[in-house]
Amino acid sequence: MNRLFKYSFLTAAAMTLLSGCDQKLDVAPTQSIDDVAALSTSKDVEVTLIGCYDGIQDGDVYGGAFQYVSDLYGDAGEIRFGGTFANLLEIFDKQLTTANSTASTTWIDSYNAINRCNNVLSALDKVEEAKKARIEGEARFIRGALYFELVRLYAKTWGDGDNAANAGVPLVLEPTRSVTDADYRKRNSVAEVYAQVLDDLTKAENLLPASNTIYATKNAAAGMLARVYLQQGNYASARDAANRVITSGRQRLVTPFSSLFYTSLRNGGANPAEYIFSTTVTAQDGANSLNTFFGTAISSIPGTAGRGDFRILPAHRALYGAGDTRGEFFVTPPSNLTYTQKHLDRFGNVPIMRLAEMYLIRAEANFRLGTTVGAAPLADINAIRARAGATALTEVTIADILKERKLELAFEGHTLHDIKRLKGKVGALDFNSPRLIFPIPQREIDANKQLTQNVGY
Amino acid sequence: MRHTLRISLWMLVCLSFVAVRAQDKVVTGKVTSSDEGAGLPGVSITVKGTTRGANSDAEGNYRISIPDNATLVFSFVGFSPLEEKVNGRSVINVQLTQDTKTLSEIVVTGFGSQIKRELTGNIAQVKGKDIENMPTPTVDAALQGKAAGVFINSGSGKLGQAVTVRVRGNSSISASSQPLYVVDGTPITTGDFGNYGGETNALADINPNDIESIEVLKDASAGAIYGARAANGVVLITTKRGKAGKTNVSFNFQTGSATAARRLPFLNSEEFISFYKQAAGYRDRLANIDPNDPDSFTQSIFGAGGFLDYYSYGTYGTPQQADVNWQEQAFQKAPMHQADLQLSGGNDKTRFFISGQYLDQTGTIIGNRLKRMSGRLNLDHQANNWLSVGLTMNLARTENQRLPDDNAFSNPLQMAALTPLTPFLDPNTGLPAGTPPGDINIPLYYNPIISINYAKFVATSIRNLTNGYLQANIFKGLKFRSEVGVDLLNQQEEGYFQSQTVRNQTRATNGIGANYGTFVTNYNTNNFFAYDNSFGQHGISATLGMSYQQSQTKTNFIEGTQFPSNSYQRIASAATKSDGSSTETNFRFLSYFARANYKFADKYLLSASARIDGSSRFGANSRYSFFPAVSLGWVLSEENFLKNNTVISFLKARASYGGTGNSEIGNFPQLGLFQGDAGYAGAAGQRPSQIGNPDLRWETTYQTDFGIDFGILNNRINGEIDYYVKNTSGLLLNVNIPATTGFVSQVRNVGKLENKGFEFVVNTQNFVGKFKWNTSFNWANNRNKVTDIQGQVIEGGIRNMNRVVEGQPIGVFYTVEYAGVNPDNGDALFYKNTKGADGSIDRTTVTNSGYNSAQRVVVGNPNPKFIGGITNSFSYKGIDLSVFFNGVYGNQVNFYGVGQYSSANGIYEDNQTKDQLNAWTPENRNTDVPEARYLRGNGNQASSRYIFDGSYLRLRTATLSYTLPTSLVNRVKLERVKVYVSGMNLATFTNYKGWDPEVSADSFTSNFAIGNDFYTPPQPRTILFGINIGL
Repeated sequence: MNRLFKYSFLTAAAMTLLSGCDQKLDVAPTQSIDDVAALSTSKDVEVTLIGCYDGIQDGDVYGGAFQYVSDLYGDAGEIRFGGTFANLLEIFDKQLTTANSTASTTWIDSYNAINRCNNVLSALDKVEEAKKARIEGEARFIRGALYFELVRLYAKTWGDGDNAANAGVPLVLEPTRSVTDADYRKRNSVAEVYAQVLDDLTKAENLLPASNTIYATKNAAAGMLARVYLQQGNYASARDAANRVITSGRQRLVTPFSSLFYTSLRNGGANPAEYIFSTTVTAQDGANSLNTFFGTAISSIPGTAGRGDFRILPAHRALYGAGDTRGEFFVTPPSNLTYTQKHLDRFGNVPIMRLAEMYLIRAEANFRLGTTVGAAPLADINAIRARAGATALTEVTIADILKERKLELAFEGHTLHDIKRLKGKVGALDFNSPRLIFPIPQREIDANKQLTQNVGY
Repeated sequence: MRHTLRISLWMLVCLSFVAVRAQDKVVTGKVTSSDEGAGLPGVSITVKGTTRGANSDAEGNYRISIPDNATLVFSFVGFSPLEEKVNGRSVINVQLTQDTKTLSEIVVTGFGSQIKRELTGNIAQVKGKDIENMPTPTVDAALQGKAAGVFINSGSGKLGQAVTVRVRGNSSISASSQPLYVVDGTPITTGDFGNYGGETNALADINPNDIESIEVLKDASAGAIYGARAANGVVLITTKRGKAGKTNVSFNFQTGSATAARRLPFLNSEEFISFYKQAAGYRDRLANIDPNDPDSFTQSIFGAGGFLDYYSYGTYGTPQQADVNWQEQAFQKAPMHQADLQLSGGNDKTRFFISGQYLDQTGTIIGNRLKRMSGRLNLDHQANNWLSVGLTMNLARTENQRLPDDNAFSNPLQMAALTPLTPFLDPNTGLPAGTPPGDINIPLYYNPIISINYAKFVATSIRNLTNGYLQANIFKGLKFRSEVGVDLLNQQEEGYFQSQTVRNQTRATNGIGANYGTFVTNYNTNNFFAYDNSFGQHGISATLGMSYQQSQTKTNFIEGTQFPSNSYQRIASAATKSDGSSTETNFRFLSYFARANYKFADKYLLSASARIDGSSRFGANSRYSFFPAVSLGWVLSEENFLKNNTVISFLKARASYGGTGNSEIGNFPQLGLFQGDAGYAGAAGQRPSQIGNPDLRWETTYQTDFGIDFGILNNRINGEIDYYVKNTSGLLLNVNIPATTGFVSQVRNVGKLENKGFEFVVNTQNFVGKFKWNTSFNWANNRNKVTDIQGQVIEGGIRNMNRVVEGQPIGVFYTVEYAGVNPDNGDALFYKNTKGADGSIDRTTVTNSGYNSAQRVVVGNPNPKFIGGITNSFSYKGIDLSVFFNGVYGNQVNFYGVGQYSSANGIYEDNQTKDQLNAWTPENRNTDVPEARYLRGNGNQASSRYIFDGSYLRLRTATLSYTLPTSLVNRVKLERVKVYVSGMNLATFTNYKGWDPEVSADSFTSNFAIGNDFYTPPQPRTILFGINIGL
């Protein structure tokens, strides 16, 4: 009896221990949510839109790479690169390898942000009616701006041959939920990409509110449109878009010139009234890779930082006239190397577009068209010069306007694209040299057999 | 399937109600050793064919009650078992002879153990005593060269870091390829939980001296009992248990020091000056600038206010001009101390093993130190004649002062790249160059000494491994065992970077502190029936059971900046709490397993096993998988035609086939996910974070193994020969997808790979008698081949030079082929290697500007062709000498991490390796070092130029010990006194040009990113003196 009890007990215990529970294997992630459930409410879409800004804030997107690549790639003797990043040295030398990490990271991170925008745009039906226009406008603004940057970097410039035949970048306008054959896309033509950019930005300008705290506004879309039209040589549309921004009165030129920068150190993180659009950097969030490479730690200015890789040469500083405060906006620490002060602020917001650019676009376009929409070119140029403390001009030529543009917007990401639209040269290289176009990243060519590589790679 | 298992269980249990007992009598006696004649404690005495048994006491005496006409079996580890028919005797004294053959040893298998001679699978056993007291803080590193077919690469000389372990090759691309570690039945938490520097190694919490034996389950027959977790092999670690009898006390202390042996020669000041004159001179000629022009490249380095003027604090060209060997500053002489106390003993009912260890080991790279305190209690208790219980408990505290990863300016070894003309101390402050208040932008790069002086990052882990068991003998031969294991890992990492480090930690203007907590809670239970019996010539053993594991990892993190001063280093004092986070993730496994072994006449052996595994890591549709294995053995030496052969004393042929799986792909790879970490400027945001794949399932490996175990001349020569083929299919692959989708990869079951190889083990007793000389040798080759990845391009490592290529071993170096130097102009040349329409390869060359047009090709293989180890041990009258070499042959190492900066024709201002002095000049045309060209790439592009042979042969350990005569030590009431001196990595024979061929840069390591060197600290050379006292 005792033995029977022992065995029964053992058997019962053994069976209990042996029988597992299948449902124990139903374990859900704790930090992530299912992609189907992620876009169920208006709030869900709104936070995904914030994710779009997070996407472009990336240091390899609008957190700085779009800007510094243009300045480094388009430089011919005004910057000396002195770091150990081979990807940047290759850009500086205009001799990229297809594995260049900037070329691949910028591509990957831009399309990542585009997918975020596509998620927002696919779920607009979930959005509260009062917010719908703004949310669509912001997502379209970001998507349009990204495609504009991508097509400028990875494809032949507008007007170099047949835009409808030149390969641009693949256009993806729907969110990705699974990977099918359709996701292995060909490159759309340059013309198709520009058409999409104009469509997105034009709709964005109509949809966006005039003011929208740190997020995209009507002026941001109009200003970006002005840039796109200028790149296309569509001066009338560029002039009109720039004029809409200026006449809206939402931004103003601020004085002194130096107060345009150091947004974190001297302005508590707020943008100066001149900024049309920027990405916001805080101590907890965001990257300012303009600071990483243009900046350096100056012991007399606490809060400055940077690798100090992009050193400004005397050839550049010699371009400024006497009394021009922009010419003094440099710093030479004990190393005897010279740096621009525009990007010394470690947590400074990354400027993407400010009002001065609109004056310069309007002046150039008016001059080329022989019009005076908004103001005469001379007046616009002198407005910029006066703020900088430079002497007023009495008459302007196109060369004056372009030089003013170069000095005012130096190291803010315009060099390469200006040379390309003006059909100039970078050193000995013509504006349309294949060496001035990024390679389609090798990893992308490898992953997608539908893509064609750019000439020269 | 599970229902079938349950029904079978019920039937087994029902059978158990039939139990019989017979008449008893008592036998006593003494067991002695034939060698010394002393009583042998702890000998197991069993009545043949029953579970009845007893152990001999401290003096070797035993007492057992037996049925009439029984046969007693005396067995003891290390001795040949002996059978004695009782034949009515009541006193039986026996002498056991020491076993010269390893074949009768017990080998731990999953959920049981087996006599080695009856094994049909392939299990490599490493005894605890073979790895004891080695100056490697983690047990995996100590296994190197000890087990055939187990490749181990310690990666770097940094203490407590991850070690690469590959059992029979690399069988996965994206999922982990590390084996499963099971300690006393519990699959333990392993891997990396570090938040700074390279990967950490959770095995650092285990005291290697607590280990009785390590078994590596290599083939499918051995591994299938661990099913979905065994494709990479299983490492079973069994800790020491007490034996009945006298209490043994053993104290061991060892002390010594280590240095990193090898240096890489770099330019001194004079050489630096002449080399950069060449490099800048080229640029001036090219730009047609007079080198004396202030805007010339030459003047930018050598002129007033130029590079050297600035970075030498103005001492360049003065009598104070410095000549610093910066590389040397990274190294230090590293003391090590270790004390161990072990007690073991017990009686018939209760046995114990207690141990404690204190280890304090300093790294050979400045700033690195590891301290460990560990304690263990292992208990076994026989509650009554059918129930036994036991407990193993280990508590360890490991403190590791960590170094940054290899690809960080603060990695001390990167000092090698600093300018030799930069004085070590800033002449203005007397502090190391770059220390505030001096100019922080000197030296050329951040000075790692500043981080050593003004920053720390300490990881402290408290680890508790507890495992309890209950074992019930249900009836003769059948027992039920239930095990519950808990593995708690509690780790805290504290980092503080003082304001002096601001050049490296740009946010450290007023100090930056971070604190990471990691809590891993891992529960496991195994419950199984084991049956073992023999009927005449038939022997049967079977195992049937289940196991369940759940593991939860929680982490939290807080970071603060703006500290009042460097005296405040806790985040309570941080004015800005700059970052914070908490995370959680879980995984679970539910498994059912069964195994049966059958033998007939000790000649024919058959084993079959199966396991069903379910995991939370896979979708509901493909959650369970079935892993069967079968194996056969034939002991030819038991056959009549060999039985009385005087040469061949043992011969067994065996074969096995079976399936195992791999699910180590991280948690939730199957789900399409959004993550809420996409906030912007203080507003919360979310983003798509992962693209789903609901059909995701296991990666499966089918392995065939043929083996021969042999013993010659009374087993004085014995060994094993194995041939295996491992085919892995349905690889869990991070498949690259077009980034235009918004994602870069998706986990899919794509592709196949294969590992096949030979393993050869031979142990010989060259001399027996007073002078003993034993040799054990193991050798293995493994050919890895990726057979199908469906055209995927998978690459990694430094500048993506490692690649997974179909038809090639995993991770081959795939880059442009270097063609040397154009003797006419000093240009670096690269082979085009483009394929013509007719299939011919274009072997013409291009120079730097044509680099992009040169085709990348396979130029090297980081996987060794073969690996091996040989140990020779000699003993004579208390003097023992053991010499162990290990070797790796036929692999290449990528030196590009260092080469692209430091053997790079002066493209940057980094100090260069001495071989650059042989650069092309008009006077030195026949060289393979291209012309020096400042700020211009000339051959430092990624290419085969930097891929070197990584073969090496190393005197891994040598130990000389002297055991004092027993008569002497007995006088001072001691049982044993042994003194020893041992050395590790005493000599390395290699052609590799870098610091150490055993290298794996921690910033770049993955399954296929292997064999990379990036200023990686070399292995230490350690010399230790020790004393061991037994009482």
